[in-house]
Amino acid sequence: MKKNKTMIILFLAPAVLMFCIIFLYPIIRTLCMSFFKIDGVTDAVSHWKFVGIGNYTDLINTKLFQISMGNLTKIWLFGGLIVMCLALLFAVILTSGIRFKKTFRAIIYMPNVVSAVALATMWLQYVYSPRFGLLKSVFETLHLDALAKIQWLDTDHKFGALLIAYCFGMVGYHMLIFCSGIERIGADYYEAATLDGANKWNQFRFITLPLLKGVIKTNITMWSVSSVGFFLWSQLFSTVTSDTATITPMVYMYSMIFGAGNSITERNAGLGAAVGVVLSICVVVIFWICNKTLKDDDLEF
Amino acid sequence: MKKKLLSIILCVAMFAVMLSGCGSSDTDKKPEANNNGGSGDGDGLVYWSMWEETEPQAIAIKESIDKFTKDTGIKVSVEFKGRTGIREGLQPALDAGTNIDVFDEDIDRVNKTWTKYLLDLETYVKDSDYEKTANPILMAACREAAGGSLKSLPYQPNIFAFFCNEDIFKEAGVDKLPTTWDELLAACEKIKAIGKTPITCDDAYITCMFGYHMSRLLGAAKAEEVVKNGEWDNEAVMATAKAYEELASKGYFSPNVEGNVWPAGQNTELALGEAAMYLNGSWLPNEVKGTAGEDFNWGCFSYPAVEGGTDGTEAANFGGQVFAINAKSKKADDAYKLISYLTKGEADALITEKSIGIPADTSNTEWPEIMANAGVKEVMDSLTTRYSWAAGAEANANMTPIIKENFLKLCGGSMTAQEFVDALKNAGK
Repeated sequence: MKKNKTMIILFLAPAVLMFCIIFLYPIIRTLCMSFFKIDGVTDAVSHWKFVGIGNYTDLINTKLFQISMGNLTKIWLFGGLIVMCLALLFAVILTSGIRFKKTFRAIIYMPNVVSAVALATMWLQYVYSPRFGLLKSVFETLHLDALAKIQWLDTDHKFGALLIAYCFGMVGYHMLIFCSGIERIGADYYEAATLDGANKWNQFRFITLPLLKGVIKTNITMWSVSSVGFFLWSQLFSTVTSDTATITPMVYMYSMIFGAGNSITERNAGLGAAVGVVLSICVVVIFWICNKTLKDDDLEF
Repeated sequence: MKKKLLSIILCVAMFAVMLSGCGSSDTDKKPEANNNGGSGDGDGLVYWSMWEETEPQAIAIKESIDKFTKDTGIKVSVEFKGRTGIREGLQPALDAGTNIDVFDEDIDRVNKTWTKYLLDLETYVKDSDYEKTANPILMAACREAAGGSLKSLPYQPNIFAFFCNEDIFKEAGVDKLPTTWDELLAACEKIKAIGKTPITCDDAYITCMFGYHMSRLLGAAKAEEVVKNGEWDNEAVMATAKAYEELASKGYFSPNVEGNVWPAGQNTELALGEAAMYLNGSWLPNEVKGTAGEDFNWGCFSYPAVEGGTDGTEAANFGGQVFAINAKSKKADDAYKLISYLTKGEADALITEKSIGIPADTSNTEWPEIMANAGVKEVMDSLTTRYSWAAGAEANANMTPIIKENFLKLCGGSMTAQEFVDALKNAGK
């Protein structure tokens, strides 16, 4: 037994060591940094200035950070609802035995393959263009002049425009996860239900949905993680300087660590670290709530 | 016993594999070194560039470096990091002791943000009589930005002013480009009368108008203070808002200004000849050359003077990119040879030509046709006071997006001057 313990320690040591260096050390360092005022992200510890919870109180009192958290919440909640509903709908349709299943699946997944920069350019410079945009042309053809006149990228509509563009790209990814979940459910359940007279809706409501609990949990977690890291699309929709309509905590964090726009602004990597800590806590809370509310271990199939 | 030995060997092997995986391999480095003419870790200089490899500036620099190596025998390994690459990666790399001899970026970022990493160049410049053919206002700007001493050499100078379509001005009967606010209003009226849009802008540059107007009224230092300290009660804030409210209410702004996400305004409205002017940097003609075409009649004028203001047309944001040498460089002499080579003579002329820019070397008197015809030289020569970026309007990172949002609304006519000031007050600092 003693010999085994040594072996266990010996074999675990490299993994544990690497885990400590690659994961644990950065986490602890970020946590520590959040209590200091630090100019450059790689400044030596001797240059750090202790500010206690000053960075956190600054964050709470900063209007722009509040706006960014508001935007993130809206992206997570509304974007999440849109993406999950559409992804589930497409997944159910695709797994229902329709023809050209693979083609449709490829089409819906396509935006994930295309670079986000190209997609954003398409939305910004073509779809939403107030001069020759797709939306403008469509609404003009339908004689919906009020809608055709809307400037989709002005401050009042920019968030909605961003959300639609982002969701468009995300549906395919979550649809694939749902598809794999649905395909795992045995065909006999549906056969039995059909024989018992259950219609498609009831089959979805009482078979598919309950058996997808685990997959839904996975999807929500994945969505939460990608939402919290919302950065690229925000940057693409507000080049050079950020916008109140599209700023997210990650963008705010970037501007605090590396400076905002073209100006030389005050940098504080400690404040950036505090944003990171707040976001991590958000993810943990969401994950915990998901685990508490969506219990799937009572089902076996 | 055998088992134990085997286990230990396996453990050691596992560690070795992991560690070797973490390390960098020589084979990765070699091809790059060959491509760039230097090894990067021994016999040559290492230069981290802010440009993307495909940009005109990068192409010109690469060509000049090849020539430099041929002329001097000094090898240079260039790494085109791009703007974000340099911004995010340079400081950590320097802190980690990465072998970097030369780097470049915007004049303010290099001299202010990275000042502690810079080698003082005063002796080099004096010994080589560098300033004999250097632009004096840019050299002064470099010294000022670095706190008094010269720590960088400027190249690719730029100015930030109104760039316009002179054909529209002529068609509207405006013979002289505006120098005062009243002249600007008169010009806008005439331009509007011929059915053209007087002014357009994109979201990325809209705050510059706010900053310039405030700085004209208060001087740049005070304007920056107002933005940094949230002194929104200052009369200049309301005066600026009123001036722009008037522009919007008279229909002098593009109807799309609120929704113009860069580069929509510059690439379509201005470049296609629908709008007459745009407050932007001297890089604009290069950026829109594909759409504007060769026959676009460019004009340039400094932001007009306002009545009772502190600054006049002699003040503007100007600067450029700068080369700097790592204070820890072991090849500082060679590095200086490189950066002085790149900012003078043929190399300077080449980058000016490729990027439709402004020469840094005063002996390069031939400016690109577009720049010369637009009168950029006259504007640049008239400048004596330097504004920082956006004339201080973006000095407070917590306020920039809020100023941007509300100023866009003000210019688009969906907000009044009073509402604009109230919105800033509500946001605080």
